[in-house]
Amino acid sequence: MKENFKVALAQMNCHRADKKRNIEKMGKIITEATKEKADLVIFPELSLTGYVIRDEIYNLAETIPGPSTEAMEKIAKKTGAYIVFGMPELSEKTKATIYNSAVLVGPEGIVGKYRKMHLPTHSVFEEKRYFRQGYEAVALTTKLGKIGLIICYDIFFPELSRLTRLKGAQLIVCISASPAVRKAFFETLTVARAIENAAFLAYVNLVGIENGLQFWGGSRLVGPNGKVLTQAKYDEEDLVMCDVSYSDIKPVEAFVPTLKDLRPELFDELKESAKRL
Amino acid sequence: MKLTPDVLELNWSEVEEKIKLFIIDYVKKSGARGIVLGLSGGIDSCTVAALSALAIGGKNVLGLILPEKETYNVKDIKHAEATAKKFGLKTEKIDITPVLKAFYKSIPSFDSKDNLCKGNIKARARMIYIYYYANKFNMIVCGSSDKSETMIGYFTKWGDAAADITPIMDLYKTQVRKLASHIGVPEEIVKKPSSPGLWPRQFAEEELGIKYETLDLILYGLEHFMETKDIASQLGLREDLVEKIKRRWLAAEHKRRLPLTTKIEYRTIGADFRLPRDVC
Repeated sequence: MKENFKVALAQMNCHRADKKRNIEKMGKIITEATKEKADLVIFPELSLTGYVIRDEIYNLAETIPGPSTEAMEKIAKKTGAYIVFGMPELSEKTKATIYNSAVLVGPEGIVGKYRKMHLPTHSVFEEKRYFRQGYEAVALTTKLGKIGLIICYDIFFPELSRLTRLKGAQLIVCISASPAVRKAFFETLTVARAIENAAFLAYVNLVGIENGLQFWGGSRLVGPNGKVLTQAKYDEEDLVMCDVSYSDIKPVEAFVPTLKDLRPELFDELKESAKRL
Repeated sequence: MKLTPDVLELNWSEVEEKIKLFIIDYVKKSGARGIVLGLSGGIDSCTVAALSALAIGGKNVLGLILPEKETYNVKDIKHAEATAKKFGLKTEKIDITPVLKAFYKSIPSFDSKDNLCKGNIKARARMIYIYYYANKFNMIVCGSSDKSETMIGYFTKWGDAAADITPIMDLYKTQVRKLASHIGVPEEIVKKPSSPGLWPRQFAEEELGIKYETLDLILYGLEHFMETKDIASQLGLREDLVEKIKRRWLAAEHKRRLPLTTKIEYRTIGADFRLPRDVC
């Protein structure tokens, strides 16, 4: 397992509802990033299709594996990179249910996927209209260590990031499609999730305008001490890269031991209390 | 929540950038050659004209000055021209009086004393001119509606509100004034009393019976789910006045939506279909 590697945050403006062009675009970005020795390239939420696809989703969703993941696997094999991207996933079992998923592919093929658990359906968001929620926190084993996957609004729920960390993730990847009015929340929460879990947190947001929503970018890699190690531009496409060294985690955990001091009994109480809101 | 004028403060540079990006993006995606808008010389249309010119260049923006005899106001026309000159947009001036007269004459039940119905003809006639240019020269129509007027329904259905995009519709009138100052719309325009210009001596605040400074705070409170009682108490107003504004806001929803139909089939326009609005 690599203890030191390079992460590329690919802040992309997607071609709405055009999977072919988005795969081509992601392929070019991955090639560019791997020329700079990136080991992991991360794209935003629903980067395969764009975020505001509304009813078009029924024609765009695909199974995993499916044609799009196969195309991304080919790119991973060719470039040797791990890739995280977002897509609407059609349930293999029902062929009717759709999930908002993050997929991790690598040179060895599909490593795994995460189905978004918290689906915003308020304000301008209508995800529960289209997606079924996921039921499982995910930390996927790769040659770059265990990688936890969460999607956008999930970051408001610290228990999910915590769970990926407790499953062994030292790097938590949050792919996102956040419109501009929520910038301050995400800039706070990305730092919080990294500190409280003594983990690296890679946040990759969409840019561009879809249906009047302006996605603000600002993708960032946050270190386990809460320091923003690199940050992409606001409001425009960008590709930024940064090194991750897992050895940075140990001194942080020794300084503020948030994992050592965890109180499991609170989680039981939390579960019971959450049922009775 | 404390309802003070501070709640309406925004970072005006950021707002300007967001609106410009929105305009640039929409024009590009639509494949249009530019923007056409009605330029009355009022604060809203001058601000939208300026933002459009700042976004896509004045040579790609056409302001139509559409005066008519009854409400002809030299000052407003000067303000429209001054804005056009300052921000480098093109203008065309067309006197719509003959067309309006023809309309009035052709309607058997026309009542010249009914200011509202007559005024709405003026707004809708202007819409026809603006859309002719849009259609003919492949331009998008940029509307000037602000949030205050749109919320309380203080506009003509299918008239001045008819547009392809409305860049300042999420800003209250007092916020539009601040944005206008920020981007350099002449102060004389920013400070003059607002008027829809549908009949002579029609001033918005007189007609509405409330200052925009107060109206905007009431609407802001309603937007944030505040109780009318709380809004009235904080602003030192009678609760029935705030209730009246709230009713006006709710009653105007029909002006802000596509016409309602009854559900008969599988997917219904306006009810089921949810398609992205912008083009790829």
